[in-house]
Amino acid sequence: MNAVQRHHLRIAWWMILPCTIGLICFRLFPILASFLISFTDWNIIGVPEFVGLNNYIQALTSPLGVKVLLNTFQYALVYVPLATALGFSLALLVDTGIKGAVFFRTLYFLPFITATVAIAISWKWMFATRFGILNAFLSWLHLSDPIAWLSNPNVALISVAVVMVWKDTGFYMVLFLAGLQTIDRTLIEAAKLDGANRFAIVRDIILPQLAPMTFFVLLIAMINSAKTFEATISLTNGGPNNASTTLGYAIYQNAFVHFDMGLASAQSWVLCLIVGGISLLHYRLQQRKT
Amino acid sequence: MNSRSISALLIYLGLLSYAAVTLFPLLWMVITAMKSGRELFRLPPSLVPDLLVAGTPFVNFVAVFEKSGFLGAVLNSMLVATLAAVGQLITCSMAGFVFANLRNRVFTGIYVLLLSTMFFPTEVTLIPEFLLFRQLGWLDTLLPLIVPSFFVGAFGTLMMTGFFKSIPFEIEEAAILDGASSFGIFKDIYLPFGAPALASLFLVAFIANWDEVLRPVIFNSSPEVKTLPQFLLDFVGQYESQWTVLLAGSFLATLPLIMIYIGCQKWVVAGFARSSLK
Repeated sequence: MNAVQRHHLRIAWWMILPCTIGLICFRLFPILASFLISFTDWNIIGVPEFVGLNNYIQALTSPLGVKVLLNTFQYALVYVPLATALGFSLALLVDTGIKGAVFFRTLYFLPFITATVAIAISWKWMFATRFGILNAFLSWLHLSDPIAWLSNPNVALISVAVVMVWKDTGFYMVLFLAGLQTIDRTLIEAAKLDGANRFAIVRDIILPQLAPMTFFVLLIAMINSAKTFEATISLTNGGPNNASTTLGYAIYQNAFVHFDMGLASAQSWVLCLIVGGISLLHYRLQQRKT
Repeated sequence: MNSRSISALLIYLGLLSYAAVTLFPLLWMVITAMKSGRELFRLPPSLVPDLLVAGTPFVNFVAVFEKSGFLGAVLNSMLVATLAAVGQLITCSMAGFVFANLRNRVFTGIYVLLLSTMFFPTEVTLIPEFLLFRQLGWLDTLLPLIVPSFFVGAFGTLMMTGFFKSIPFEIEEAAILDGASSFGIFKDIYLPFGAPALASLFLVAFIANWDEVLRPVIFNSSPEVKTLPQFLLDFVGQYESQWTVLLAGSFLATLPLIMIYIGCQKWVVAGFARSSLK
């Protein structure tokens, strides 16, 4: 320990105090407590009763539990590829450095910082079956009969996912742009001199070099899709008939609508395992590359 | 036309079509907010709002303010977002100062624990936090939305630690020889040096707390302490057919964020990018 560090040591304990208290009270204690609650049957008023792995079994095998997991998976299946592919394409377009590119970049990021509930409500009106602009557009194009975007069980989940794609795409674009900055430009210039076309450059140079960032964006997108809540509560409340209830919303519903604290805690740990599993997979893949 | 201008044309086509996708929902929100109740249910929907044509485009915006609870919700959201962001600045910069300078077993232990909590989604801590706040008598107050931000912020601490580590050691040494106290060094060297990171952290925390729905919905149910997202959700339930007023309110709820973004774009984008990259 050098002189500067010794000098700081006296005050350091005080400066770290709030952080330590917060870590214990608002993070470590709740994490531990949630783990314990997940093994109990508890309606928040009575005495918690130990039930072993029952809540986990219910979360993973009961019809509703399975439905929630399948919904979460389906939602990710729509959200992750759409948001990542769009984010990637926009990054490529903006990265051309064409005149006005900065303006478009600024604009594309805008939805990400808008208030989620406000914007979801706006989409809800666009989704309205009879008076909504989306169905008006479809009928103007003579494309299809009106679609019940939010009340058809086969469509509601996709509608929620689309709103979040719209909101988050600009964020993934920014991440991809950061990744593009790290690519060796001389490679691209050399390929151009050799007569490679744009498509070949993207496929053979940009995509391989961008692979770590792409993995990372996929990871974030998957985690975000498992946690989705704001759009669901604003658009569908998980309905119709739980058709759009994903894990993030189910936890809220079980805990604070049905007061089944044990099941909700178990589901939050399932969510935690999904997030952790994806992170671990990402970490392993990165390790293998280097 | 040569191949260069064709490719430029295609790029603009791509850029402009997604710009339309980005803008339309926002634009439609504003257009709808400027319609009268009768115009709202016209088929096919009109693209030019009738109240704008009539020269009274702000009727619905005024009507939102007359709804009970809206003004209170605006103030609550302002209070929560501002104080939570200030709290993050204080606790994260202090912790960052320590972690950037000192490494012993205890500090490293705290640091590692703090970072490992980032892997747990907020859903995990929700129920015990509810119990804690109930025990403290904080339910139906704004405290659960503000106080934790004064105590803990893993991402912010990580960001400030990284930023502070790049401060040259010699500057500190010289300051100590000049008789500066540790707190003086923190205040006069670290904080000014960390200003860009602090600005990013403030903006990200402000936006995130303004946008927060889950925690207010769970911790607060009495009307006086509701935040804007809660007000909007209640509004949907209560006056489902008053879309014009509702969308005026939605626009007002998102306007501060848009203004912050336009004003401090660089810091906002940098902050959010960093919040995920680490």
